[in-house]
Amino acid sequence: MEIIEQIKTNKLVENQTEIQKICLHKLQSNPLPDPKSEHWRLSNKSKFSNFLEYPFNEKDTKFDIPFTKNAQSTIRLTIGKNSQIKFIEEDYSIKQLSQDELDKYIKEQIYCFDQNENWSNLLNLSLSCTKNILGLKINGSKIPPIEIFSHSSSNSLNAKTLVIFLEKNCDVELLQVNLGIENSSLSQSTYFYLEENSSLNHGVVSYGANRSNLLNSLNVIQQKNSEYNLGSLHFNFNYARFEISIKQSSGNAKTNIKGMQITKKDEQISTYTKIDFNGPNGFLDQINKSLADDKSHAIFEGSIIVPKIAQKTDASQLSRNLLLSNLAQIDTKPQLEIIADDVKCKHGATISQLNEEELFYMRSRGITLPEASKLQLSSYFQEIISFIPVSKDRWDLLDKLLNDN
Amino acid sequence: MGLSFVKVYKANCNRLFLNNMVKENLVKDVVKEPYKYGFVTDIETEKIAKGLNEDIIRLISQKKEEPKYLLDFRLKAFKKWQRMKEPDWAGLGYKQIDYQDIIYYSAPKQKEKISSLDEVDPKLLETFDKLGIPLTEQKKLTNVAVDAVFDSVSIATTFREELAEHGVIFCSISEAVKNHSDLIEKYLGTVVPSGDNYFAALNSAVFSDGSFVYIPKGVTCPMDLSSYFRINSGDSGQFERTLIIAEESSSVSYLEGCTAPMFDTNTLHAAVVELIALDNASIKYSTVQNWYAGDEEGVGGIFNFVTKRGKCLGKRSKISWSQVETGSAITWKYPSCLLLGEESVGEFYSVALTNNLQQADTGTKMIHIGAKTKSTIVSKGISAGNSINSYRGLVKIGTKATGARNYSQCDSMLIGDQASANTFPYIKSQQPNSEIEHEASTCRISEDQLFYLQSRGIEFEEAISMMVSGFCRDVFNQLPMEFAAEADKLLALKLEGSVG
Repeated sequence: MEIIEQIKTNKLVENQTEIQKICLHKLQSNPLPDPKSEHWRLSNKSKFSNFLEYPFNEKDTKFDIPFTKNAQSTIRLTIGKNSQIKFIEEDYSIKQLSQDELDKYIKEQIYCFDQNENWSNLLNLSLSCTKNILGLKINGSKIPPIEIFSHSSSNSLNAKTLVIFLEKNCDVELLQVNLGIENSSLSQSTYFYLEENSSLNHGVVSYGANRSNLLNSLNVIQQKNSEYNLGSLHFNFNYARFEISIKQSSGNAKTNIKGMQITKKDEQISTYTKIDFNGPNGFLDQINKSLADDKSHAIFEGSIIVPKIAQKTDASQLSRNLLLSNLAQIDTKPQLEIIADDVKCKHGATISQLNEEELFYMRSRGITLPEASKLQLSSYFQEIISFIPVSKDRWDLLDKLLNDN
Repeated sequence: MGLSFVKVYKANCNRLFLNNMVKENLVKDVVKEPYKYGFVTDIETEKIAKGLNEDIIRLISQKKEEPKYLLDFRLKAFKKWQRMKEPDWAGLGYKQIDYQDIIYYSAPKQKEKISSLDEVDPKLLETFDKLGIPLTEQKKLTNVAVDAVFDSVSIATTFREELAEHGVIFCSISEAVKNHSDLIEKYLGTVVPSGDNYFAALNSAVFSDGSFVYIPKGVTCPMDLSSYFRINSGDSGQFERTLIIAEESSSVSYLEGCTAPMFDTNTLHAAVVELIALDNASIKYSTVQNWYAGDEEGVGGIFNFVTKRGKCLGKRSKISWSQVETGSAITWKYPSCLLLGEESVGEFYSVALTNNLQQADTGTKMIHIGAKTKSTIVSKGISAGNSINSYRGLVKIGTKATGARNYSQCDSMLIGDQASANTFPYIKSQQPNSEIEHEASTCRISEDQLFYLQSRGIEFEEAISMMVSGFCRDVFNQLPMEFAAEADKLLALKLEGSVG
């Protein structure tokens, strides 16, 4: 773990920006998260060190987006590649954030970061050079769908950061694709700031290749009357961690989350979510699905915090899990912390396997066992996939998932 | 794919209405009720010096005339305890406990040997009488055998002869050490090992008394067994140990009750309960815990740090925990089941009520090891005042537990907007051929229901009491008759002031 040594001796990055300096300083005395803390306890140690074993690389190798752009006027951006971004049309504008705006916002965020809980964010910001931070300010309506890519390079650890401000009354569909290249690690941090009345349909598709690792963190701040919908899918990573932190800063906002993680072989994929209601009338509907096969391990930990100020909050969280093999493992830990008394909060969790009766019925109708399982799985996947916005058809996600099976 | 059942308690309330109630302090009155077991019995006690070291442990062991293996057990536990750190994961806020400032042995002075209840100090009998515990012969009608523990020692056990006829052993653990040493040596510490956790290690080192139950093969215990724990001294901790062994095809129902006087200092209660059920045996363990909870400002009260665990060793064995937790300043308690035997069953039914500045962190662990094991968890938490009420549970399905099944339900009810209710269920599965379901909900007293009841002429307080009672019904149904009535009354007292 050369990187950790480099953090300790402060030799990781030359020409540090101010943000890098602050983050590295926060990490220096304690460069690794506490493996005993609730947040990191279940993280597989050898896989985690595997994430850190690749040398840090600021530069990207040549990268081609695996799918061609279709005729639709989708806006495509790759973090680390785009220099001047400016789309100004009649109805909308997408502009790059100025360095000052970006620095100010990130600094505000870092201020409340905890070494352990936000370790992924701190590491990401320590590594991201100016080139690999993409900051956008979006305004207006009728905005064409946006696709943003970030990827790693083989045999190295790359860090990418995305910051997006959605101005008032803005309505955006955005798909974020994180591609893991063989034998590589990617650290991706995303920050969204949703102003009043804005709405974001956000899709996250992360898929890796042989032995790729991912540390993906997502931080969302929602102002009044904003709506945030997230559809996420993580699969095919040796080690992946998806940390979601959503804050409804003054309540009256809507959040919908539908996430799925699929683990096979000896993979470990985990999702950690933390939803903070900081005002009344908040709404949350969250469902997280995991599927664990072979010797893999899927983890879900979700916490919902409803302080006294957040009266009339309506929050529900459901964790549904499929355990398909004798050697696979699933851990799930929904968590509710409630102080406000006038709230509707509920959570549920299930772990089971494919329904035998349904399988039997299909087989009695002449469908073979593998096909019947595929049918069941496709309905299991479909709920999440249909929630991922933009060009999901072109990505053939369902096929990808099912044929890998 | 397993279905998920998520229940919603609708809390669509008329805010104004409740605000008025709060303004008029009605709700506050409703949840306020003085602790009526807070008296101190003025009785001469024999205490040893404060502090904890090897000599104290040797002294306790010597006072109880224990065999060497037990002293070794204590000393080993003490060594382990010294190396351990007090756990802080529960996030409970309490002042650091000074373990050297506690008296580890305190016993009421009485005649050397007691042959019948008539020789027990009348003051003691009076105390238990005041608490409503039937120790004297004329109260035989209740048909419950009682083991009464006062501070560190057991003072009386009733109905011994009748029980002996059936081969049931029911006595204090110190007596069992003397008379049934083989059983103690074989089973003590097998469910909760001496180094299991910080408080279990402390208990293993200094435990003074507790109850011992042995139900022989094929016997259904003819009456409910009960132990009653009373802390009387303000500066001594209570460290009792209970061991229940149910042999093949036997069954027993065991009840436990606790009270303590009001002191403005915190008293430590760190008990260990071990249950062992062999093939086809069934143990039902019910607790009504009403230790002193401290006053409204959170001064005083019992720290209740208890380790309770049952082992379903045999095939088709069953262990059922039911508890009503209303007292203690801090409750930290997770009655658990280790389901080893095939088709064994674990159950946990709990009502936890917290008020003022009480903190309760309670729940269960169901560890499924054997095939086709089943467990059910029903937990109801009610928090009022400024209290914190958390459910923390673990359901673990091991690789060999094919066909295992778990159902958990935890509901919380909030009264007032200062109380907090948390749920931390933790589910871990390593067996695909198993089904786990968990559901949780949080609600408050529904204004609609309240309005309906009031429109039918039912008083506000009575209506709340009815609703709370209905909320807890699933659990009360699991309690033995005597306890169900007591629990209902207790809850009513705690919640309803004088009306109820």
